[in-house]
Amino acid sequence: MDPEQVDEFVMGYLKKKGFNSAAKQLQEALHHNNGGTFNSTDYHNDPELTKLIRSFSQSENDPTRYRDGYSKLRSWAYNSLDLYKHELLRVMYPVFIHCYMDLVGKGHTREARAFFNSFRKDHEMIHLRDLQKLEGVLVPSHLEEMEFARSLRQSKVNIKICQYSYDLLLQYLHRTESTLMLGIINEHINFQVYSGQPNSSSDDIDAVTIVGSFQETADHINQKEIQWGLLEDSLEDRLEKTGSLLSDSEKGQGESKDGDVDDSKKRSNEIGKQGSSLKKLKKDKAGNATAKVARQETSIVSPAPRVKPELALPVMSTDVEESILEDLRNRVQLSSVAMPSVSFYTFVNTHNGLNCASISHDGSLVAGGFSDSSIKVWNMAKIGQAGSGALQGESDTNDQNVGPNGRRNYTLLLGHSGPVYSATFSPPGDFVLSSSADTTIRLWSTQLNANLVCYKGHNYPVWDVQFSPFGHYFASCSHDRTARIWSMDRVQPLRIMAGHLSDVDVSVSLTIVRCVQWHPNCNYIATGSSDKTVRLWDVQTGECVRIFIGHRSMVLSLAMSPDGRYMASGDEDGTIMMWDLSTARCITPLMGHNSCVWSLSYSGEGSLLASGSADCTVKLWDVTSSTKLTKAEEKNGNTNRLRSLRTFPTKSTPVHALRFSRRNLLFAAGALSKPAS
Amino acid sequence: ELWKGEEKMSIVPKETIEVIAQSIGITNLSPEAALMLAPDVEYRVREIMQEAIKCMRHSKRTTLTASDVDGALNLRNLEPIYGFGSGGPIRFRKAIGHRDLFYTDDREVDFKDVIEAPLPKAPLDTEIVCHWLAIEGVQPAIPENAPLEVIRAPAENQIYQQKDGPLIDIRLPVKHVLSKELQLYFQKIAELTMSKSNPSLFKEALVSLASDSGLHPLVPYFTNFIADEVSRGLNDFLLLFNLMHVVRSLLQNPHIHIEPYLHQLMPSVVTCLVSRKLGNRFADNHWDLRDFTANLVALICKRFGNTYVTLQSRLTKTLVNALLDPKKALTQHYGAIQGLAALGHNVVRLLVLSNLEPYLSLLEPELDAEKQKNQMKSYEAWRVYGALLRAAGLCIHDRLKIFPNLPSPSPSLLNKGKGKVINTEPNKRKLSVDSSENRSPRKRLIATDGSDGGPSPMQVDRPTGDANPPQNSVHPSSSEQASGGNAPESRNAKENQGSKGRTITRKAILDQIWKDDLDSGRLLVKLHQLYGDRILPFIPSTEMSLFL
Repeated sequence: MDPEQVDEFVMGYLKKKGFNSAAKQLQEALHHNNGGTFNSTDYHNDPELTKLIRSFSQSENDPTRYRDGYSKLRSWAYNSLDLYKHELLRVMYPVFIHCYMDLVGKGHTREARAFFNSFRKDHEMIHLRDLQKLEGVLVPSHLEEMEFARSLRQSKVNIKICQYSYDLLLQYLHRTESTLMLGIINEHINFQVYSGQPNSSSDDIDAVTIVGSFQETADHINQKEIQWGLLEDSLEDRLEKTGSLLSDSEKGQGESKDGDVDDSKKRSNEIGKQGSSLKKLKKDKAGNATAKVARQETSIVSPAPRVKPELALPVMSTDVEESILEDLRNRVQLSSVAMPSVSFYTFVNTHNGLNCASISHDGSLVAGGFSDSSIKVWNMAKIGQAGSGALQGESDTNDQNVGPNGRRNYTLLLGHSGPVYSATFSPPGDFVLSSSADTTIRLWSTQLNANLVCYKGHNYPVWDVQFSPFGHYFASCSHDRTARIWSMDRVQPLRIMAGHLSDVDVSVSLTIVRCVQWHPNCNYIATGSSDKTVRLWDVQTGECVRIFIGHRSMVLSLAMSPDGRYMASGDEDGTIMMWDLSTARCITPLMGHNSCVWSLSYSGEGSLLASGSADCTVKLWDVTSSTKLTKAEEKNGNTNRLRSLRTFPTKSTPVHALRFSRRNLLFAAGALSKPAS
Repeated sequence: ELWKGEEKMSIVPKETIEVIAQSIGITNLSPEAALMLAPDVEYRVREIMQEAIKCMRHSKRTTLTASDVDGALNLRNLEPIYGFGSGGPIRFRKAIGHRDLFYTDDREVDFKDVIEAPLPKAPLDTEIVCHWLAIEGVQPAIPENAPLEVIRAPAENQIYQQKDGPLIDIRLPVKHVLSKELQLYFQKIAELTMSKSNPSLFKEALVSLASDSGLHPLVPYFTNFIADEVSRGLNDFLLLFNLMHVVRSLLQNPHIHIEPYLHQLMPSVVTCLVSRKLGNRFADNHWDLRDFTANLVALICKRFGNTYVTLQSRLTKTLVNALLDPKKALTQHYGAIQGLAALGHNVVRLLVLSNLEPYLSLLEPELDAEKQKNQMKSYEAWRVYGALLRAAGLCIHDRLKIFPNLPSPSPSLLNKGKGKVINTEPNKRKLSVDSSENRSPRKRLIATDGSDGGPSPMQVDRPTGDANPPQNSVHPSSSEQASGGNAPESRNAKENQGSKGRTITRKAILDQIWKDDLDSGRLLVKLHQLYGDRILPFIPSTEMSLFL
């Protein structure tokens, strides 16, 4: 192509666009220089670009070009060879949404709508939720306003594609001179071309990742080191060290070992009570830690590495500690052949008002958060003792609304001024935390049955609150796109985890955090959000250390395996994903639920995962086989994803909460959803 | 209200904007402005709905309510829409003459009526009910748990009516309609079974039951009928026998799919096998009934054992329990033994023979005429003894039958075989004669009352007869086992007993096999210790020669 020709095109384009002054300047510049300018040499060897420029000079504003170009590309892709078809079809979705957004951006609302509706069916199966979001975008200002659309337009999509498919696609685009499609593909798709045969599985999770530059950031973040091991000197650790703890002599040893640690712990606790700074505590801890590390080296290697806590952990009273140890000793060993018993707490007569349920660690206390701002706490142990209480079922729910002794069976906690979205018990069960739409978190004592503290800090409804595995600290997440770490004794948060990524200038800040979960070693929290990602945050630094990408809809529930190695997350569609924390890769998607997964829980030794869903079932999944098989999977490339062990259907009761007790009894709770007749 | 209605629509027409503008007092809205506003309204509505869905998810619900929309409006710092927060889903009505226009049914209420209306009942308070969803991985079948097969059904039957009337319509279960002919047929069969007056007609009825197609709709009625009548008519021997015949015919009918009703049928059948008392007269030969039922049970196990894995194990458990419970009557023991024997020699070897020794020691005093003065009891004891002997004998016979190259049977030999069997009887008589001699008066009582042993006025023959039936019934039962030619072979073996010389040449081969099968040898020794010579008729001669 001649440089003169190029100049001609550029001139034509500028004039057409109304950039008259720019056109004049160019003309002047052309007169001054004799054609050997830098810009023309640049264009010489790039046929794509010349075509693109040529297309600009042509019928620039014609909205039907999008439709024609897309439908041609579409029919070509659908008629391509079966072997490469699924790879080529992957290209269609990004092209589709960008065509649509370009049309909207140019103000062709009606054409955009027609275009969207005629091809929307192709993508509904996988991208329904995104389509529903985009459907509403009708005028250019919406594109600016809507974060999702903005982020889509500013980022690239990564698509894995084999060499041959890639060649086919380029050939087609050049042959038909569909420069518009080529432009969109160049602008928004980042091909990761690999040699060899195309991947056989058409639903490869990693094949398409929507947020491209974001993906790089995520990859970058996921390089960071995390220590997922259990806390050293945790109760489990001690139990492991001393074996079964059955013989007294052994136990004595264990105690003497930990004696000095306990002393310093007590000391640090006293300091804490006097209100000294966290730093001092940390020093204390660090001192202990070095001593312990030295000891650790001599002890036998255990599967999960040990790490030291970054937060000063509260000290447990010895009798609480004893009871926990007792529970751990009596824990039932579960596996794919030894199934747990499931005790189900059904809320009746909730009048559609139950927003959340929570079960204490021993299963004796059950709390429900209601949309009428109330929290109700049942002591199941007491009801059990009363004998004639709620355990007898329907008889007492029909015509009496008071317990057998003429009073309510539950403790009513009033204080919030908006629907209660979450409640959580402290590990010993002495406190309840609740979060509400009134933007506050409240701390209640189950012994005094009274509100102790109101934590104000969030600016929007607080969706979830979770006590740390050791109590005292808790994490919350809110509609204001932050997750916060609190301690019980301060009304201000200790840390604020902001949704955007601090170290990179990325526009993706749509992390409206939906749920939060602590890592067993208390050093990390995980948050699930409506942008379909799960993030892991360092509690001490407040940094995001992992981003887990793979869910196709809003993440609703999270659970951490007891050894801290794995995490499970459940989403709106019913998919559960198991993640390896260290590599940030999805080990296996667990498909089976067909509605929202409200709750997840790992069994005490981590061999089973229980999931509770809105489809009125509790499912048990085999974790060990799920993790093992993937190694074989990596080798031979086949995927057998279903490793569901059991499904327990309930009687039209969506499962809101699940908890494995320390003895591995599974507790589940939900509200009977049938209208009371 | 109108505004709510538009949520259903895919796009907001400009007329809607104009109508809304008028309703809030803006009369001079230009059409262009309305046209510009329309897409933005749609966008905002979608936005609100998206937020509302999030609120719904956080309330852990799957149906959107008005309060979710209010929550979403709150999140956007907008004024909520008042008057819709009723908790339940709102019912929309379709505006007549418009395709996509809906409104809520908002009737005018007289204030006076509201004031004068009696207070509504207080809503029930929230409670928690606790139950086991699963015990060690198994869901207990309690009313609190969902029945497994029903789980999918409501989802299919639900019809979502989004416009008028109730939101959900669940179809009632379909009524089971029986044709008039079938009803008559059932009545007739039931009458025949009950009346016992017309045996020939009943036989034909049984044939019809066993062969007619199209009887399947009656199966639940028959199972019900049988279960009812068995539980009611335990004193009526003939009725029970008839019922068992009906069961057998039903089982034989190839057009009937009886499996789903087996669990209802089995208890009745097992009752007829091991009940303490069947019939109320001495004349009722309940032994026959038990034998018949035992074969029936074996038939069921053979046919459905594959589909119902637990069927046989449950059955044998019941029978063994009945057998090993010394408090149970001897009649029950008899039924249990016959039932087990009919299930095949493996069952016998594992379950009966292992318990044989202690059981026989328990039975011994009953058998001894001096100790057991009750004639009836003694008779029953001998009957049980005979059944045991037969079971054990058949078992050992089957064990030993493994030897391959015995001469093929011929009819003439079979006939002779029968004679041989009788020849062995004196062995038994030896033992029983002396025991029966001093109970002749009472024996006669039975002989006259009992109709089964018709031609047996001789007292001495009684005990022989007692021990005999098992032997006589060797034939039918072993052919029942149907492994082809068992019975002829056994006869043949007995024939050979008389002519040992013929088979002595095979001794070498048999010896080898014999050594391999030490188990059988030990068993045989044990049985011989327990039974003495009475076990010998069951043992093929060649083996016997080796053994002796």
